[in-house]
Amino acid sequence: MVEEERAPVILQFAPFQSAVDEGFWRRLSSLKLDTLGIDQSPITITGKFELNLFAGFYSPCSHPQVSNHLTLLPESLPPEPGEESSSSAAAAVSRGNRNRCPVPGTLYNTNTLESYYALDKQSLLKAEARKIWEDISSGKAEEESAVLSRFLLISFADLKKWSFHYWFAFPALVLDPPATLIDLKPASQCFTLEEAESLSAACNEWRNSSLTADVPFFLVTIASDSHATIWPLRDWAACQGDGQKLLFGFYDPCHLPNNPGWPLRNFLALICLRWNMEKVRFLCYREKHGFADLGLSLVGEALVSVPQGWKDPHCVPNAVGWELNRGKKVSRCISLRQSMDPTRLAISAADLNLKLMRWRALPSLNLNNLSSIKCLLLGAGTLGCQVARMLMAWGVRKITLLDSGRVAMSNPVRQSLYTFEDCLNGGNMKAMAAVNSLERILPAVEAEGIVMAIPMPGHPVSTQEENSVLEDCRHLQDLITSHDAVFLLTDTRESRWLPTLLCANSNRITITAALGFDSYVVMRHGAGPLNYSSDIKSEGEETLSAQMGNLSTGGTDERLRLGCYFCNDVVAPIDSTANRTLDQQCTVTRPGIAPIASAIAVELLVGILHHPDGMLAPGEIATSHSGSSEQPLGILPHQIRGSLSQYSQMTLVGHSSNSCTACCSTVVSEYRRRGMDFVLQAINHPTYLEDLTGLTELMKSTSSFEVDWDDETDENDNDGI
Amino acid sequence: MDICSSWDGTLSSSDFRVAATTLSKKWKVINPVFPPWTWVPCPRRPFWVASSDSEVDGYLSLENFYQLSSNEVGHRCSIETQALNNLVDVLCSYKSSPAKEELVNCGKEEPVDNATLVQSDDQEMHFYDFHIVYSNSYRVPVLYFRGYQSDGQLLALDEIERDLPLNSLKILRESKWTFMTQEEHPYLNRPWYTLHPCGTSEWMKLLFLGGDSQTKDGPTIQQQYLVSWLSVVGQAVGLRIPLEMINNSCPLYPVNSVTLSNEVND
Ligand SMILES: [Zn+2]
Repeated sequence: MVEEERAPVILQFAPFQSAVDEGFWRRLSSLKLDTLGIDQSPITITGKFELNLFAGFYSPCSHPQVSNHLTLLPESLPPEPGEESSSSAAAAVSRGNRNRCPVPGTLYNTNTLESYYALDKQSLLKAEARKIWEDISSGKAEEESAVLSRFLLISFADLKKWSFHYWFAFPALVLDPPATLIDLKPASQCFTLEEAESLSAACNEWRNSSLTADVPFFLVTIASDSHATIWPLRDWAACQGDGQKLLFGFYDPCHLPNNPGWPLRNFLALICLRWNMEKVRFLCYREKHGFADLGLSLVGEALVSVPQGWKDPHCVPNAVGWELNRGKKVSRCISLRQSMDPTRLAISAADLNLKLMRWRALPSLNLNNLSSIKCLLLGAGTLGCQVARMLMAWGVRKITLLDSGRVAMSNPVRQSLYTFEDCLNGGNMKAMAAVNSLERILPAVEAEGIVMAIPMPGHPVSTQEENSVLEDCRHLQDLITSHDAVFLLTDTRESRWLPTLLCANSNRITITAALGFDSYVVMRHGAGPLNYSSDIKSEGEETLSAQMGNLSTGGTDERLRLGCYFCNDVVAPIDSTANRTLDQQCTVTRPGIAPIASAIAVELLVGILHHPDGMLAPGEIATSHSGSSEQPLGILPHQIRGSLSQYSQMTLVGHSSNSCTACCSTVVSEYRRRGMDFVLQAINHPTYLEDLTGLTELMKSTSSFEVDWDDETDENDNDGI
Repeated sequence: MDICSSWDGTLSSSDFRVAATTLSKKWKVINPVFPPWTWVPCPRRPFWVASSDSEVDGYLSLENFYQLSSNEVGHRCSIETQALNNLVDVLCSYKSSPAKEELVNCGKEEPVDNATLVQSDDQEMHFYDFHIVYSNSYRVPVLYFRGYQSDGQLLALDEIERDLPLNSLKILRESKWTFMTQEEHPYLNRPWYTLHPCGTSEWMKLLFLGGDSQTKDGPTIQQQYLVSWLSVVGQAVGLRIPLEMINNSCPLYPVNSVTLSNEVND
């Protein structure tokens, strides 16, 4: 058989490959958190626990193009506390599983990346190899052959980043000199038809019995009558009859036609050390469709000899086996952030609802628009809290809240972002407490809190205060230009004046909600009266609404522009709390009003974002017959007024007034011309705005405004608390 | 159960069990090349799955279904991306680890061993696991699946989409009944991809009731339900259903419209 003239060919083995199920890393994470703590001792899976769990699983190769991997599954690790029963059931199921031959392994999990890289890998490998060598020497490997494929895993679980650094080793005792190959070919070419049939039948029987299915090393004898028998390794003596062929079989995970797989290495070591064989005939057992396949299986013949040192019982054999990562000796790293990072999971779960809505009902729903829009909420009271929540429900992620107040004891029951804790020690700043709360609800929210009072007309400022008020004005202007949509949710009429003016100036989507005792009004302001050019902006890029506004405001007919909150007023905003009795100052609303108005305000924003004309869309009126609107979200009204006393709600349209103290072209032009001087004058001189816009004249002439809705002025436009 | 016009396209939990058995048997007989569909009994019942029927406790599972990518270019790209990611990982490790020299040169080198076969890189493989879980709320089967590389790294949705045949992508984009999302697997409690079940009963009803010539001795709904269902949802996720399984199982379904993806191994 030996072709003498050729130089001996060294038998080369295809290395084992590892695969780790995601569930293994999850189980390891919770084990580390709950049980192990900072214990760095090796987790030896077998022996230590009552449950007979194993660390790795593999099965014979079953595909001509693909090798099987040694796989780690969640059940490779000890069960988590409280899980004993189910895991023992799972373990019972996995025993005798023909596709899961268990292999013992040792895991070293370190607490830091530094200690991971500092591990002495060569010593660890030698220690495992020594165990294998001892199991061979003691005869244990003949009783429990899976120990021949013992493996080693080092890991560092970075639970903050959900990444896992790891490295496998499949220790193989190095034969010196190496085994040389005499012959290797498909098993089908090595047997007579009768022998092949009998061998296949015997293998299939072995593989289908729950007693032997997961025993990966075995002996094969083929008697002179072609009858094949498979024996466990401990029956070595029984295989010594004369006239029969003897083969050393093993489950071969490798698919290659010219190389046996890794498990054969330690098997050869056993064969030469224990049985003093020099010429070994082996069977690389492989399957197809769950049955023995002698076309894929290989039969080979090799020459082996026992290394000198192995005669010494204290010998530490040479070993190799650290797994290569894409051909290189580097550690592997796997990231499970996508499926383990709770923040990411919360985002995708929240988005799921919206995607479902888009899929089922609103194909035109633009989720990108919603997640990228920046909303500025002026006021973080009853309305501000609820508007922020509704925005998040719609997938809005960029929310800025502005408020100058602190959380008071009476707030949490009505203002849905605050709790009792926020009221202690004088109360947290509302803007900050609201941001904290939003982040607790959804960590992915990009929320910002601004503690600032909004300068108001009719509240004169002293010379000392002047600079800080002007600073606030500029700050507010910057905030408005850097956002796409602004919600006016403060509790006084005059605090809405400056934001209304600034929004009209910079063409921002503006939505106002105001509350009475049992009534509410929600409206969207029309576009600004003048072209908004981006040079006026102090800084920042072109925002979404600025782009929308720039499209066509130039030609907008003043008469068709939708009105703002002040358009139907015949008085300029002044101090609305000064002349009231205490009862009136302590504004009260029915608790249901604010959530209703807040929800409508946000729905109105979503309507604007999905309307082809955006903020320029004309105001629509609800009709009795449904389905009249062309838009998937229905009509886009200008104003919604509702009352709980009658449980009624109506939609209204009010066009802009040429004498409006906040949004008419006279006021906006004057603001553009004089800037902060103009603002300061309006703040300090109660009649200045009325004089400027001609309201004073108008009131004298007793004529009234044409508005589509009731001309009764709204005295109850303050929200609660 | 006979097909009658009042049938709402849903399946009871016990019928699901029957249908599952039929599917796995038929699958094994008709196409033994594939990994089998096996019933995975679940020892622990999630508390929200309230069912008086204990035998349905579990799900049908087909695992390690692999795909050798047919698209060479796209495939190479994905390997390169992965290599890049690894590189980034390595660089990050360098940054955070003072013991960086340990990274490549790990102490004493292993002895050179010429008995180790040095393999050229194996073709990168993507593996898929498919689970069919019964939904008590919708009373229909739900397909959960995940994809991963040979080392266990999970595939992101866009990587999965790159593996899908064009036909599947078209279905996912245009069809009213396939909506892919990531949700928690009801038994494993880990996020898996799934096709949302809220349209299932409607199109299953169409599938069965649309056939005008349902023979009386033909297979019953509970036997055929999962096979027909899988022939539809399988298309969306690139899971090839052998033609023989579909024949006779859903009368309306035109056999020639079933697209076979080429890259599935034989
Ligand atoms: Zn106005």
